[in-house]
Amino acid sequence: MWQIQNPNTPTGQLILWMIVLGAFIMIMGLVPLLHALPPRGRRAIIVIITFITGLFFAIEFFLPINKEQKNFLTDAIQPAQQAVQVITALALALGTYGLVRLHLRNVVQQRAQWGYSLVLLISFVMMATFSITNTLSEQGLVEKTPLLEQGFKLLFDYTLVQLDAAMFSLIAFYIFSAAYRAFRIRSVEAGILMFTAIVVMIGVVPLGATISPYLPGVANWILTSLNAPVQRAIEFGVGIGGLAMAIRLWLSLERGVT
Amino acid sequence: METLWLSGLAQYQHAADNWFAAILIAVIATTVLVSIAIARSGASLYIRRIPGLDAIDEAIGRSTEMGRPVTMIPGMTAFGVVAVQALTIFKYITKQIARFATPMRLLTGDATVYAVAQEAIQDAYNEAGRPDLYDPDAIRFLSDRQFAFASGVAGLIQRERVAANFMFGEFFAESLIFAETGNIVGAIQVAGTISFTQVPFFVAACDYTIIGDEFYATSAYLSREPVLLGSLVGQDIAKLLFVLIAITGAVLTSIFGADAPVVKLLGQPGGWDAFFGGGQ
Repeated sequence: MWQIQNPNTPTGQLILWMIVLGAFIMIMGLVPLLHALPPRGRRAIIVIITFITGLFFAIEFFLPINKEQKNFLTDAIQPAQQAVQVITALALALGTYGLVRLHLRNVVQQRAQWGYSLVLLISFVMMATFSITNTLSEQGLVEKTPLLEQGFKLLFDYTLVQLDAAMFSLIAFYIFSAAYRAFRIRSVEAGILMFTAIVVMIGVVPLGATISPYLPGVANWILTSLNAPVQRAIEFGVGIGGLAMAIRLWLSLERGVT
Repeated sequence: METLWLSGLAQYQHAADNWFAAILIAVIATTVLVSIAIARSGASLYIRRIPGLDAIDEAIGRSTEMGRPVTMIPGMTAFGVVAVQALTIFKYITKQIARFATPMRLLTGDATVYAVAQEAIQDAYNEAGRPDLYDPDAIRFLSDRQFAFASGVAGLIQRERVAANFMFGEFFAESLIFAETGNIVGAIQVAGTISFTQVPFFVAACDYTIIGDEFYATSAYLSREPVLLGSLVGQDIAKLLFVLIAITGAVLTSIFGADAPVVKLLGQPGGWDAFFGGGQ
């Protein structure tokens, strides 16, 4: 019931375009309406939409399912998730606009360190141009020239991916400096931490078994009988906290940012 | 038959898959709502001290004295309950910042969070009575690519020599890059995350770390709003319920063995089938 049957037929196409047009008109109408309303009215609309959306997922979860693991609402989940993707795409455009606006201002007004902003803008334009053109060429909409191929490779494979790897490799050095501070024995707790860490680190490598046949077992016991239950307890707490937060958001009891 | 929307490709969880878990969810939800109602009726509720949250004001004060900015990082958290909680905390921090006109930067790697953060931070300045201090450029979407975002944050922390760095949200491998960079510039750092794999890094590199569900207690602690305090009490009762179930499960498993129907009822998906003889 949530799907357009035979969308390639004239009737299916008509229904499809009516839905697209209807959704467009609704969104275009909703945004100025929300802006025009006083805060109380705006909040009422948001509360109603939030409640209905949450109710949809709650009912879908609790209703009995058939042999195909579905109830009459299940097929509507995917379109609902696609709507979220559309909103995310709109927000991404907003985020990109904010980023470009800020750095353009930095360059135009020659604020402090405006050179970095210039590098960002040039990189942004080049990467966007080559990425979009490359995607179009993969779809056969534009010709894949050697310049495009080499340019995309140079920017993506030989620059961006390598810069990512360089940032990731920094973590190794940071782990070393952070671990040095964490393992300095300044209290009883730090001493216990240091001792436990040494047992686990040595116990899980072949050196541990060479020193003592019991060491790998002790390390494994620390990991599975001490560490794992504590992590599960934290996860339970986080899960319950998330559930409580979700309930407050659904019922608009949360006044923080809503 | 041709259909426009793909269906049947994804499997969704339903209450019927595990009625025991579904009933638990309903019980927890009811407990939280009842606790909120009790708190709203004026009951006095106690919340224990969390040193990391007491340090927020101290960190802001230090930033003000030094005339350096405060950074707030919700990480790469996509918009959801974690992001809302993080922004609620940042809104509180911004209200404090607004009293002293301390500069701030909110840096995000998610565009949806960026859009909501702009509204939330503007609201915070308005509520603090200083709408003139709101600068839209202070809220920045850097990149949705993990290490591009990490390098952007690290660069800003280094260039602006921030005096206080608050990290609340969901973090991944980039957490240590943020925390160590903050440490290098001598910033007071308070981190709170639900990502327990990142907790050791924050503990090692930050001055204060909010662990696990303390993250969700933060807004209640800071605002002392009855709704949030009540919700916190409900969460504690739910945790107690889980402890009781775990102890009961351990005792029953010890007595009857892991294959007993009553044990399967507590621990396995489709628990009711196991209890009534259907099995999985």
